[in-house]
Amino acid sequence: MAKTKVVIDPVTRIEGHLRVTCVVENGKVTDAWNTCTLFRGFEIFMKDRDPRDVWHYTMRICGVCPTPHGWNGVRASEMAMGVDKMDDNTRLIRNMMEASQLAYDHILWFYVLNAFDYVNVPNALKAKPKTPTLKAVQEQLKGFVAAGQLGFLANMYWDHPGYKLPPDLDLELTAHYLQSIEMQQIANDAGGVFLGGKYPMIMNYAPGGCTQLPGIEDILTYKQRMQQVTDFVDTVVVPDLLAIAPYYIGLAQVGKGVGNFLSWGVLDEKSQDPYDRVFPRGGIFGGKLVAEKVDPDETKMYTKTSFFPDSLGAGKHPLDVGQEPQEYVDLAPITGNALPNAKYDWTQAVRYGAQEAPMEVGPLAQMLLAYLAPRPEAVQLVDSTLAAVGAAGHPEILISALGRIVARVLKLKINMDNAQRWADELLANMATGNIAVNSMPEVPDSGEGKGGWDAPRGALCHYVRIKNKKIDSFAAVPASNWNFSPRDDKGVRGPVEEALVGLPVEDPSKPLEILRLVHTFDP
Amino acid sequence: MPEMSVFPGVTRRDFLKICGGLAALIGLGQAGAADVAEALEQIAKRPNVVWSLFQECLGCSVNLLQSRTPQVATLILQQISLNYHEAVMAAAGDEAAQNYWDTVNGGDFYWIVEGAIATKIPGAMTVHGETSMDIAKKTYPKPKATIAIGSCACYGNVQAARPNPTGAKGLAAFLKEDAGVADPVVINMSRCPGNAEDMLAALTYVLVYKKLPELDSVGRPKFLYGALVHDNCERRAHFENGDYIESFGDPHCADDWCWFKMGCKGPVTYAPCPVTRWNGHQSWCVKAGPCIGCSEPNFWDTMEPFYSPVPNIKAPGINGISDSKFTGILVGATAVAIGAHLVGTAVTHRLRGGGPLEEPSGDTSDGGGE
Repeated sequence: MAKTKVVIDPVTRIEGHLRVTCVVENGKVTDAWNTCTLFRGFEIFMKDRDPRDVWHYTMRICGVCPTPHGWNGVRASEMAMGVDKMDDNTRLIRNMMEASQLAYDHILWFYVLNAFDYVNVPNALKAKPKTPTLKAVQEQLKGFVAAGQLGFLANMYWDHPGYKLPPDLDLELTAHYLQSIEMQQIANDAGGVFLGGKYPMIMNYAPGGCTQLPGIEDILTYKQRMQQVTDFVDTVVVPDLLAIAPYYIGLAQVGKGVGNFLSWGVLDEKSQDPYDRVFPRGGIFGGKLVAEKVDPDETKMYTKTSFFPDSLGAGKHPLDVGQEPQEYVDLAPITGNALPNAKYDWTQAVRYGAQEAPMEVGPLAQMLLAYLAPRPEAVQLVDSTLAAVGAAGHPEILISALGRIVARVLKLKINMDNAQRWADELLANMATGNIAVNSMPEVPDSGEGKGGWDAPRGALCHYVRIKNKKIDSFAAVPASNWNFSPRDDKGVRGPVEEALVGLPVEDPSKPLEILRLVHTFDP
Repeated sequence: MPEMSVFPGVTRRDFLKICGGLAALIGLGQAGAADVAEALEQIAKRPNVVWSLFQECLGCSVNLLQSRTPQVATLILQQISLNYHEAVMAAAGDEAAQNYWDTVNGGDFYWIVEGAIATKIPGAMTVHGETSMDIAKKTYPKPKATIAIGSCACYGNVQAARPNPTGAKGLAAFLKEDAGVADPVVINMSRCPGNAEDMLAALTYVLVYKKLPELDSVGRPKFLYGALVHDNCERRAHFENGDYIESFGDPHCADDWCWFKMGCKGPVTYAPCPVTRWNGHQSWCVKAGPCIGCSEPNFWDTMEPFYSPVPNIKAPGINGISDSKFTGILVGATAVAIGAHLVGTAVTHRLRGGGPLEEPSGDTSDGGGE
């Protein structure tokens, strides 16, 4: 039977540069490779820098999620400078910043990065709008399409039979797409702009603490803006998910992946214990829904399939690997039958622990671990969702492409509810006269520290080693390093590669299903 | 399917007929049809924009999504035709690449570049199997104007920090040093991230005046980058009074005192941040902490350590700030920044004469290469 190579390069609506190669046989994916097509070399140019400056560099790893990269950078370096624990105001300010980032990020993902895989915008022209707002959006779209310049909507697989929504829903979701752009701005205003100075690339972190305590008016602005976003999540995002899910219920059967899940945790409670976080630290292995303890120092790197010497990784700790990039890079051609070469990725393979497990990270991992912890708000939301779809008592059905989308929205909801709490706790501290944020520590001759605080898209950890008051070694292991790991030294596929295998593809010349599945990992 | 005109429901053929009739009506005869068609199309068409992503973090695009003047939805639905932007566009893979080259080969577009060009390891940056070097070289001759947004596309930025492992360069430096373009014309909208609202102001300038704005010696529009952050800073009065924040968490943070002693690079950084601000013009860095000088070429190497004060600035109430360990680096930064701009007394009277002042070289090279 027909065997077809399918390459998507560039995978669009993501952060970064990604190619996905699949073999499709008899209407299903039988093998898959993911290739990051960008290399910059942070581990190399961070060497010998001033340890106090680390977080400014690390934010530039990802302009979509600079805030958790900032947290990891500042935490790793301050820990290396001997700061074991944050002062409580710093904890709360950093939580508030993270909640603001997380709200913007998940809203941006749900609409701007993800919606066009499910919402057929041209089909919205056939809708019969019932409200003046929807009518106005439809008129705007009509003018846009009629002008013959489809711009950012041009050349999508709009005639693919995989688009299932009726025209009225397509129009409503398109209207919400446009509205979401303003809502993600308001989410960013709350923390990034009013507390952090601007967004992206905030300015108010500093090793040891924060630059300053925010003014009361800024905290109140934070609360007000986050409440606006909460209202949007409750009245638009969650209902949108519930409205479209029945049309795409088949996604609950695909994309299960490796069944191993990892989160370093995010959003600190007063204890600052990573297992006590709103989204707690933990690991799930072999699809068995039991939370196990995990250690960022059990992260191991492998380089046989990436553009580095084979022996560079070999299971070493991130701080001991470094980067020695090949100068000549041979990517298999897009056309023709050639499959990816033995070395095919700029991402180094990352695996966990003695079992060398490929780990899925992201909202699904975070929600499963919060559910197992158990965090009451997660249990309540997950159980009510499961009951609504007739699967009460079966959280394992979340392990799917649809589950990743659902988990991201539930996580957004929990985040919004906690954001107000951090702001109130900070105001309460201030009311009792606690207005301290720690100032910058001295840089020691030597030291070591690490972060371990999830980005919205999953587990993120930065590692810092100081020698002679300078950065001796730096390593970043971000979420896409886990999810988009290539094969390891033994040839075991990474999580996204594994999730793609078995995926039905209706028309290999229009690989909408592949694009969808890759997007559920929020690359 | 017949080729459509820019007007809803009208084929190109019928459109030209209508134009012929209009031309006759206004006394140009049938021969004037093309002129009328061109004028009408100019009014009806949204300008095509192609936005390339190379060695970047998407921060400039994320800042674009924060733009409120205009609001993003208005921008992409009514004001421009964003034919290619990998993070926003619906299409992917071959179809996305086709959108890119169809627009580029059509020639009628504006090119915005985010990200650096990898020159030492060309394969460190590819899209659809082509290196950033090849894409940039093939695209550069085609657009009506080219804008580099963010310090990556302008000067190489973070990946060009020493030892610049991939040979990352800004677009203009790449074109000049590696692509044989003698005098590349690129509007540099530096900073990290690029400020999208200011970039749109520069694009609007080009659309309205049909010419490039006047640029400084490192390729930035003078109307935006003509003044030091320090000179327009709302905290300047505190600097003059010697009101300095002495440590992070200092109670005087609440009084908006000056960040100079905490390492603020405003005195050696040319950017409009205090004037145009960020995210809908609501705020800017100094509200939250000291400036790191992100609009200047090679600021990662010249401005660090970010938390040490700029030496050789005459600061009221401070006698001889001079950290000898870092003076060499920072004097260099000061000289580059000053030399690049032919600044007048506003800055030079603050210099103690420790660092050599250089004449502007007019060279747009960012020195990001090996």
